Formats: sequence, C-alpha cells, structure tokens
Amino acid sequence: MKVSMTVNGKTYTRDVEPRMLLVHFLRDELGMTGTNIGCDTSQCGACTIHMNGMAVKSCTTLAVQADGATITTIEGLANGSELHPMQKAFWENHGLQCGYCTPGMIMAATKLVENNPNMTEAEIRHGLEGNICRCTGYENIVRSVKAAAAQMGGGD
Amino acid sequence: MIPSPISSHSLPRVDALGKVTGQACYPGDITPNNLLHGKVLFSGQPHARMISMDLSAALALPGVVAIFTAKDVPNNEYGLIMPDQPVMVGLGSSKPHSDVSLWEGDHVAVIVAETELAAAQARDKIEIEWEQLPIVTDVREAMKDEIILHPWHGSNILHKYQIRKGDMAAGWAAADVVVEGSYTLPYQEHAYLQPEAGLGYIDEEGRVTIEIGGQWTYEDQEQVAHALGLPADQIRIIYPAIGGAFGGREDMSLQIVLGLAALRLQERGIKRPLRIIWSREESIVGHHKRHRAVVHTKWGATKEGMITAVSSELILDSGSYAYTSTKVLGNAHLMVTGPYVIPNAHLDSYAVTTNNVPGGAFRGFGGPQGAFAAENQMNKLAEKLGIDPVELRLKNVLHDGSILTVQSPMPPGVSIDQVIERCAAEIGWGDSNQLSVNGHQFSSIQSLIANPQSLCHGRGIACSFKNVGFSFGAPERCEATIALHGQREIERVVLYHGAAEVGQGSHTVLKQMAAAAVGVDISQVELVMSDTATSGDSGSVSASRMTWMAGNSIRGAAEKALAAWASEERPAKGYVRFTPPPTTGYAEETGECMPNFAYGYVAEAVELTVDVETGHIHVDKVVCANDVGKAINPMLIQGQIEGAVVQAHGYSLMENLWVENGRIRNPFFSQYLIPGIKDIPDHVESVIMEIPDPIGPWGARGMAEMPFMPLAPAIIAALHDATGVWFDEIPLTPARVVAKLREHGIGG
Repeated sequence: MKVSMTVNGKTYTRDVEPRMLLVHFLRDELGMTGTNIGCDTSQCGACTIHMNGMAVKSCTTLAVQADGATITTIEGLANGSELHPMQKAFWENHGLQCGYCTPGMIMAATKLVENNPNMTEAEIRHGLEGNICRCTGYENIVRSVKAAAAQMGGGD
Repeated sequence: MIPSPISSHSLPRVDALGKVTGQACYPGDITPNNLLHGKVLFSGQPHARMISMDLSAALALPGVVAIFTAKDVPNNEYGLIMPDQPVMVGLGSSKPHSDVSLWEGDHVAVIVAETELAAAQARDKIEIEWEQLPIVTDVREAMKDEIILHPWHGSNILHKYQIRKGDMAAGWAAADVVVEGSYTLPYQEHAYLQPEAGLGYIDEEGRVTIEIGGQWTYEDQEQVAHALGLPADQIRIIYPAIGGAFGGREDMSLQIVLGLAALRLQERGIKRPLRIIWSREESIVGHHKRHRAVVHTKWGATKEGMITAVSSELILDSGSYAYTSTKVLGNAHLMVTGPYVIPNAHLDSYAVTTNNVPGGAFRGFGGPQGAFAAENQMNKLAEKLGIDPVELRLKNVLHDGSILTVQSPMPPGVSIDQVIERCAAEIGWGDSNQLSVNGHQFSSIQSLIANPQSLCHGRGIACSFKNVGFSFGAPERCEATIALHGQREIERVVLYHGAAEVGQGSHTVLKQMAAAAVGVDISQVELVMSDTATSGDSGSVSASRMTWMAGNSIRGAAEKALAAWASEERPAKGYVRFTPPPTTGYAEETGECMPNFAYGYVAEAVELTVDVETGHIHVDKVVCANDVGKAINPMLIQGQIEGAVVQAHGYSLMENLWVENGRIRNPFFSQYLIPGIKDIPDHVESVIMEIPDPIGPWGARGMAEMPFMPLAPAIIAALHDATGVWFDEIPLTPARVVAKLREHGIGG
C-alpha cells in the first residue's frame, strides 16, 4: 500500500506492506534509527514519537494508520543545532545512562510539558507511566523533566 | 611521583549528545549497504537429542542465502569459564555430546537471508526430529545424580565450595541463642532496554569483525576465536553504544554465530555484512539470569550479641551450562556470612546443573543471595536477643585486619561500621516518631482507596560488603595507553582503553581520570575506546571494578607518557598493564584463601507501608549510605545508587520469572513486570561517603553493585517491623504476602 507522511518536516511516500509497523517504517524505510524498539508488546515506550500532536508508541501503530500524518521523531526535535530544552535538560541532569529509553522518554516528556507546563511532580510521574527505564531509577528523569518545564514556560 | 589530585565533578556525560538526539548508534542501528539479515533458531528443548534436521524447505524459500548449523562450526564449543556449551546443538559436530539440547535457548541454526522476514520464514520451515529425554529442573533432585546432564562431568554438582573454620562444637556450646532460617531466592531477568543485536562482517584487513554490545571486548574475542579455530588477532570486536548490561552481556549471545556466518559466507564468495536483532522474547529466553537459590543456615550468638558460629548450605541453580556459575558461587559462599567476624564456620555451597535457563552474572554476582541469608539472620538474631539491629551489627562487623571465614585478614580501608552508623543517623534510627508516612494513594487504581486501618508501617535496616575486582585468583589486569600530542605544550591527550560503556558512565569517568592524571583540562582529552584493533585488554565492566582498575591503569600510563614527554618524545606515549595485589582460590578442605584485594561497603534503611488486606507493599523511603572512597563524578554515582535501588526493589517485590519444566513462560515485559515510574520508592536518599581505599585510584572504590545488595533484607525487616511476620522468600508479591499474613491470623 502507498503511504505518505510528513516526518520531521519532510514528506515521504513509500509503498509498504499493510502490516508494517510505524516504527519499522521510520527505522527501515526512512533510516531514522533514533526511535528504538525495546519490547514488542507496547510496555516500554522506547519507540514513542509525536503523531499529529500526540505522543504515540510507534510499535503499536501501523504505518498505514499514519498515512497523511505529521510526525516528529527524536531526530527532528532539535531546532537545527539548538537542542530542545528537554534534550538539554536530560543531558545536564543525568537523565539517562544507557540511553536506549531516552528518545522515547524525551518525546513523551516533551508532549506532557507542552500540554501542561505547570505539572506537579506527581503529574510528571503519572505521565511517564508508559515509559520504562532499567538504568536510572527514574529520579534523574523526573529532575530533567522539571528542569525542562521551567525552561519551556512553566512556573508562571 | 606525587599523583595530581582529582576534584569531584559531575561532568555531564560525554556520550549524552548522541543519546538525546537519536544519533547514538546501538548495534541494531548499524545499517551498512548490501546488508544481509539473520535469525537464530533456538532448540526449544530443555532436554532432547536431535535425530534429524531437514533444511531443504527452508533453503528453497526465496531470499534465503544460507543456513549454518553445528556441522559448520570449526570448534563447536564455548563458555566463559569452561567450554561446556555447543555453539550450536546438532548433527555432524566437531565435538561429542553436542547433538543433545540441554536448554530451550540452545542454538540450532543461524539463517541468513535478504530480508528479516525471509530469514524468519525460513527459520519456521526447518524441520527437526527430537528424541525427548527426561528433564531435571529441581536442584535437590539434580544433586541425586540419577540423570547426569553433562556426561563428561560425571555429576550434576558443577562445583562445591566449603569452609571449615574453628571448632563448631565449641561455637554452638558458647551460643545462648540460635536462629535457623531457610531462604528462597528467585531468578531475575536483566531486562536491559536494548535487546541483543549485532553485526558481523569481514573488515578491510580480513578480520572476522563483530559489532555488538558486550562487557569485555577481549573475552568476546577469545571465545569467538576458540569456536572458529582462528588466532585471536583474526577476530575484531567493536562495541558501539550499548543499551544496558548489568552482567547480562558478560556471556556470549550473538557474537559467535555472527562471526561464524561472516566467515562461512566469505568462503562462499559472499562478502556482505550480516545483522541479527533479537526480539524481547528472544532476549529473555536466550540469555542467562540471576541464579535462583536456596539457603539453609543457622547462626549462634551469646546473650551479649557476639556471633559464635554459623553453618550454612547454599545451593544455586546454575541451569544447563556453567556460564560464570562457579565464580558467582564463590561470591555467594563468601558473603553468606555477611560483613561480620565469624569465629567458627561450617559452610557448604553448591552450583547445580539442571535443564533450566543458565544462571550467570547479574549486578552483585552472588552477593545478593548470600546477603539475603546473612542479613535476615542478623535481624532475626537482634529480635531474639532483644538487641537493636544496628547495635548488634556494630558489635560484629569486620574491621581492618579482621580474619574472614576464609582465615585471611581483610585488606585495609574497612568502613562498614561507619557506613552503618551514617545510614542509621540519616534515617533517624531509634526514633520511630520520625517514620515517614506519606499520604500515598496506595493503590494505583484511584477508586480502590485503602482502608486506613489495614495499613501498617515499618522500618528495617541491612548492610553488605562486596568485592571490587576479580576474586579468588582469577587473573586480574587492566591495560591503558596514553598519547600526549603537541610540541612545547601538551595540546591533546588521547586515551586508548577497552572499557565498555554500558550506560554506567565509564567513558565519562575515564576521561576525567585521564585529565587529572596528565594534569590537563578535560576538554583536551580524546577517547579511543572498546575496539580490539585499537585498545588494549581492560578486563570486563563487572565486579564494580572499572573505575578502580582503569583509574590505576590510567595513572600508570600517564606517568610513563609524562616521562616520555620530558625526554622529548613526540607524541609521547605511555602504556601500562596494571595488575592489583594477587588473590587466591578457596582451598578444597578448609576454604582458606585471600579472596579479594579491595571492597566497597553499603548500608540501607527502608521505611514501608503494607496493606494487610491486599498484601500490597509501598516503599516510602530508602536511605542508602555507600562508601565510594572518592566520588569522582557524584551525579553518576547517585544515578548508580538510584538505579540499583530500583532494580533491587523490583527483585524484592515484583519481578517474577515463571520457569516451568525448563521453559520460561513469561518472556515478555507484559508478563515479567519490572518497576515502572509509579512502582518505585517515593524517596531514595543517596548518602555518598568518601573514606579512601588505600590502593584505589585517588582513593576510589567500586560502587555500582553495592546498593543492590542490602535492599531485599532491609525490606523484609521493615515488613516484619510492620506486621510481626518474617518472610523468607521473595518477590513479595501481594499473593505471597497475603497468604503468609493469613497464616499468622493477620487481615482477612
């Protein structure tokens, strides 16, 4: 089937099998390997991307469902060489160790803060329930999201 | 030479830019031109003999390039401590007994195809006839040796250690109280977020090259070389970004099959790279686990609280192949008596072969199983004696020069007493009014608000020691090369090192140490890492050893490079193969030995709430006091403590691998639950202590395993404080907690 979608500002059209998952489309068809696959069963959230303004697990979405969609992946989050505040915050606050969950974690967190820049810590934790990290114990991830929220216009 | 100082500095990670932008390249991200795709067929047989194998239907599928089996492996055996496992189980093997599958995760074929889909379809078309053999899955059954799984070994007891110290009769006679306990410890799955993946190809110099996530490039190289029958320098191992390890990448996963396929493809004139990526299910089925264990132990003490004697029998289920089981057993055997002076000891520890998933390295490496028994015994002794658990520990802990159960003295720098005291002070031990009970919702389901009357609160403490570096005579070394570039001033420092960056931050800390050792700014240091073609043998990232060993190797290399610089060599190079003080293995009869050259020390206190109606446990607070010697990068250390505590929290409360008749029944994250962000303690307080290790680099100790070890027994103690009931088995799932509480007439 023919699918067409805008990924990180550029439109791509490909002929794909109906069963192809969006994450495989991004990784294998477009060569964007920043979006990771961690579990195959939609628990870990390493594959989280933005689709039409929502944070979506791309392992639970078919490529054909994204036909016509606007998508942002971790590769498209920075503004050129200027990192997004969430990327900067994860770096500065040691919000990552092995880094495999990080793209999904950053994409999920970015959408959370965009939706509500004044989240409480409990709301941040609730919002990241669908993303698993095995390394950090989550504390530095929460610190990172709080720091980014402050940069992204929270607290006013 | 007076070493230049190092300042504690939470340098942001040197690998973070790639990791926050998606540019970091994990093995499964490497996509060269002309790529072939592979799949591995597992036997799926806990114990069966292969009668026949038919590849014809699989080979006939379009897009299938080749299928390699046992007969294609030049030297069909491998293993980290002994070559007891076939690379592939099958017919026509170069080694005897390799037609028998002992584990469902044994490999039987590697399929190479133009697409992943074609490889998977071919894998499913391979027809195999198996003769079923009786399985042995219980360690005590296996120890009867009625069915011997490795005929060449002659017994299912893979290894036994014993310790005989002092006079047991006198020890029991001197005891006013005796506490006896039987403990059952579960498997634990590493669950690193990046499932195994790798790339195999022949490089420009004709070397069989494997890019993969591992923990020790030179060990991978040696095992691949052995199986392929090639000299080591014909094998090249490269580690790109690695998505976590925790001990789970210490043994081979895809290394040998990737190398084998690349080699055999080239012989057929196909010089194309091959990539294999495992699914989560393949990862969980296909690699070893933390050993499940049973421990029966008896401790005696005087009414003043001095330990007089300990006996124990500890059994690890080492599964179908050895992996690192004998080494893990050695650690569990030493740590089953805790960080205490034990005047009389009679200890027997066994690693036992079964048809279950192999046990192997996992953060703590046998320590957690030993510590669970020791710390539960100490807390029970404290209760029986009516002595405060902190006070009881301080009466018995090891000090500099204390004689271990293995009858050698502790190396200098023992700080366990200070660590316990600090942990107790930080949590306000002895003042139960300070118990932090928060307004936690308790159930994650909003409508299920707990009945306040069914919530009980408690507090517990435990402590541990853990070796830094290889133990019991295992050859220890770490190589480093430093090159100083420039003419009049040192402009650029290049460190060549093998240390694997598995997420712990080793590259960042090595860069900090190289800058300090040479006396330049961190920005002047460049790293060339983890490629056997460019960097030396660092040993593994395991045993909490890399900061300690690499730091010492870097200091040595820097000293030599600076001397070369002074004698006008440009670039000035220094190479060192650092070796620490020697250790020795257990003597057969008594267990006497010099086990380790350095240790780290930790204590943890826990406050929790349990709902006695539902059995749910919520951990309100964890205080972890960890003596790291010197905190070179405090934020990385805090990250290790928080990460280890949450992993241990999962081990204690929720991680529940279901293994039945030799098969893992829940090989998915949907069924094997690891802690999510809402499952973890409300608050983890990292207390970083800096009591120098006399022979550590800048005084540093290893630290990353230690915070894992005491958490489970500290939780058990807190649960006892809350309910009055001792639990001797983890994980403390709600069903297990409820059942035991009801036995004691609590709740319901």
